[in-house]
Amino acid sequence: MPMKVLILGLDGVPRGLLERLARAGVMPSFARLIGEGTLHDLRASIPEISSVSWTSFMTGANPGIHGVFGFTDLVPGTMRIRFPRFSDLEVPTFWDRLGRQGLRSVVLNQPSTYPVRPIPGALVAGFVALDLDRAVYPARHLARLEAMRYRVDVDSRRAQSDRTHLLEELEATLAAREAAVDYFWTEERWDVLELVITGTDRLQHFLWDALEAAEHPLHERVLAYYRAVDGLAGRLVERFRAEHPAGRFFALSDHGFTRVRQEVRLNAWLEAEGYLAFQGEERGALSALAPSTRVFALDPGRLYLRPASEALRTELIERLTALGFGGEPVVRAVHRREAIYHGPLAERGPDLVVQAHDGFDLKGTLKADSVFAAPATMSGMHNSEAFLLADHRVGDNLDIAEVAGHIEALFP
Amino acid sequence: MKGFTLWLTGLSGSGKSTLAREVEAALLERGCRVEVLDGDEVRQNLSAGLGFSRADRDTNIRRIGYVCRLLSRNGVVAIAAAISPYREARAANRAAIGRYVEVHCDCDLETLKARDPKGLYARAAQGEIANFTGISDPYEPPEHPEVVVHTGREDVETCVRRILRTLERLGLVPGVDAEGYRPEEEAEIARRLEDLGYL
Repeated sequence: MPMKVLILGLDGVPRGLLERLARAGVMPSFARLIGEGTLHDLRASIPEISSVSWTSFMTGANPGIHGVFGFTDLVPGTMRIRFPRFSDLEVPTFWDRLGRQGLRSVVLNQPSTYPVRPIPGALVAGFVALDLDRAVYPARHLARLEAMRYRVDVDSRRAQSDRTHLLEELEATLAAREAAVDYFWTEERWDVLELVITGTDRLQHFLWDALEAAEHPLHERVLAYYRAVDGLAGRLVERFRAEHPAGRFFALSDHGFTRVRQEVRLNAWLEAEGYLAFQGEERGALSALAPSTRVFALDPGRLYLRPASEALRTELIERLTALGFGGEPVVRAVHRREAIYHGPLAERGPDLVVQAHDGFDLKGTLKADSVFAAPATMSGMHNSEAFLLADHRVGDNLDIAEVAGHIEALFP
Repeated sequence: MKGFTLWLTGLSGSGKSTLAREVEAALLERGCRVEVLDGDEVRQNLSAGLGFSRADRDTNIRRIGYVCRLLSRNGVVAIAAAISPYREARAANRAAIGRYVEVHCDCDLETLKARDPKGLYARAAQGEIANFTGISDPYEPPEHPEVVVHTGREDVETCVRRILRTLERLGLVPGVDAEGYRPEEEAEIARRLEDLGYL
């Protein structure tokens, strides 16, 4: 019987939350899957954001090899930023590699694959996809997706002021994703089928407080969303096992989540400490920085030094490690580039990457003039606590870039 | 670059002016010369004194079409945002202008009545406004528009992108390579990242 693989991505779901909801009966399908299989810790990329983590997953490579270091990347040798696109990847994805063996993948709502390019199989791009007609390959599927009112994402701007609308959109989007899976399940020939649910990340950004607090007026509604996710997962796995009893199932998240207590604006700190200056009144863009600027940050904690020197790196590591708020340390780690990025493109990465303790949300904004601020609209922030669940033992504390190798190894 | 006319037709409140301004901004960013002829504004000057009989409406549309033709042949993108309820008048403009792209701003009447920011539908329903398109006057939807945007259920960005993609496909405005981002896409990606706190 030929090998088949089903992969379910739950964007931003931390291991602890998955276990808690499974135990509490909110996610009974996952409770069963955890009981039958193995739940592993999974190390998210650094920084722990979707563009980097999912790209590491799909390529099976470190950012120093695939070249994506954030949602924005610095154009080498300039002070300009650009938005990475799928075609920028200089290495193949595991779907491409499997394709060389004649194997086909159907991949739905995969972040950081926009605008789509052909893969051996079918691909519907996820965030930051804009136009559905450039998010779907092959294009012949476009009309069906439009007919099922498939949409890439929710309206995060409106979510800032209207949580109820966010929940309605999340529910509708999830239903459309299930309709899309059902359609592709039979419409395409596949060996690997992957679906990423990104609504979990959106919900957790805006409603982590409602998730945590039973007395929150939207608490039950939020739990209902996880029930719906669980129901979808349960139906997919059940169908998969019925049709492909020898197949393998994986579920994973690309990063974790926790409650945000304070935003920490690194550029404001760099300015206050004399590392960064603006030319005039204008703020907000790298072009507004004065030539005297020696360090600047891109979101979330990527520091670029001009020019880079080991002395300056050491100084920054010492001073950032000492940064505190209300008597608590803010910074968990400051990584030198060469300690975390390996490969021919590592030089394009930041000189230092800062990671904060849970609760301190690092920001790369150039608009803020105060270092610390209470979060304006969001109650949740990313952390590194990802998970990997499989129906067989894979390995503890894997890096997310190592998962693809395990999937490919199933196809000898 | 050669000029052309982008003609937005649809009921009152269906988003014609909003889309005209958004498309204008996107085309200006691409280096086009653009002029918007908004129906409400035209009625205050070029067509001042005209009423809402079929004859007056046709005259108004013919006048807007005439200005669009002059602008288009001089390398300007003329964007008309006018209810333009009658097929015959729109067809006459299409024939006279040549480089003409029609956009139907399609929005169901119930949604328009519910929105009704100027209170016009409510007043028309009570008989306070005569000859109100969609209520007491007919609207003939285009049979073969180049673009249909469903402004009742699609957001502005989606509608604008569809219009721009059509203009690119028709070779009327410069596009970008298939796997890259267009300027307005970059702006939209920046906005979405900012909404999630990533910029």
